[in-house]
Amino acid sequence: MSANPQGDQTASAAARPSRLSARDLLSVAIFAVIFLVVVWAISMLGVISPLVWLMVTPLQIIAAAIAFMLFLTRVRHLGVISLFGLVIALFFLLAGNSLLSSAVIAAMGVVADLICRAGGYHSKWASIWAYTVFSLAFFSPFLPLFIDREGYFATATWESMGQEYIDATNKLLTGPVLCGLAVAIAASGFVGALIGSATLRKHFVRAGLA
Amino acid sequence: MAAPARGRLDPRSRILLVVIVSLAVMSPDGLRFVPAALALGTALALTDRAWRRAGALAAAGAAMFAGGWLTPLWWPHPITAVIALACQFTIRFVATVGVAAHLIATTSPTALSAGLRAAHAPRPIAVTLAVMLRFFPVVAGEAAAVADAMRLGGLAGAGGLARHPIRALERFAVPMIAASLRASEDLSASALVRGLGSRRRPSAMIPPRFTWADPAAGLALAALAALSWWARPLA
Repeated sequence: MSANPQGDQTASAAARPSRLSARDLLSVAIFAVIFLVVVWAISMLGVISPLVWLMVTPLQIIAAAIAFMLFLTRVRHLGVISLFGLVIALFFLLAGNSLLSSAVIAAMGVVADLICRAGGYHSKWASIWAYTVFSLAFFSPFLPLFIDREGYFATATWESMGQEYIDATNKLLTGPVLCGLAVAIAASGFVGALIGSATLRKHFVRAGLA
Repeated sequence: MAAPARGRLDPRSRILLVVIVSLAVMSPDGLRFVPAALALGTALALTDRAWRRAGALAAAGAAMFAGGWLTPLWWPHPITAVIALACQFTIRFVATVGVAAHLIATTSPTALSAGLRAAHAPRPIAVTLAVMLRFFPVVAGEAAAVADAMRLGGLAGAGGLARHPIRALERFAVPMIAASLRASEDLSASALVRGLGSRRRPSAMIPPRFTWADPAAGLALAALAALSWWARPLA
């Protein structure tokens, strides 16, 4: 038992500050940049066609998981992952994402933060589930299809393709197909988090970086 | 105390410009604003004397327009339809990135931090965004170096990625992240020594000030938006 319980409380509060320190802000900035560069480097393959874009999305999620899981090893209190989600969302907003997509990314950051908090910021499985939820941010670019479906197919180019072609495409990109894509993205997030966790042990813990 | 450069937009105006253009271009009926945004991005690059950026932006816009609108008219086919869809989707990003490139190229982390402080942005967001702006070239350089090394070793390419995707990702991501983190340690130490994250409000060498260029850019933006609204190009 401690001779000075008040002193212990003070030490505990000092060890886990509630406000974001300069080191927290630096960690968020550094890992946000690494996360964005990894995602961007792989997304360049998707420029080839929308089909390739769909196919490289799981690869983006898995590669970004390594950076995210490493980032989580440096998080010790609430607000850091939320800030990470917010700056990622701001960046995507500036890079051309819709306001709705960016708001979803920021919201996923808050949920991931709460999951990690529930795990005390030390639980491996809390980190894995946190990334699984955060990976749903990769579904956010598809959200405009739910909102502006008619406008999406109302351009002169689509009209020049003929009504039959438009109907076929419209039939393919249904709500259930898009929901299936969301589930596939979450599954990729889970697999990515497992691979990221194994990669941390294999490379970064040995090198003293995690 | 130094004065802001003549004719240069205030950092707050540059940030606002990117946000307005992004929201307009990515809105449901945003294709009508794309030509205006491309023209604005090219004009900003020309005022920066960034000839390569201006040329690349104009060329990318023209290529997307050809692929997205002209090719399907010339050859109506499912293949050109897929290309058209990709180009129509990508041209919005090209337009927004063209204006964002002006912000990135002309705004130092210190100026961005001072601008965000002057705009009363919360400290965590202002500091984080300023550090990100400083750190982007470092990480991009490390990523390019790792990609070059993989190419020299014959490990790069879509074939390797298709055969062993996880191994290819590991070979790219692990050295890139490790090298970036090592570089970040020096940058972090330097930033902390210079008072980054301090609770005290720092003074700026070049305090952000609105000049005649800011309302002029606002008027030009309003004129381009009105023209796009009435003319409905690309719609």
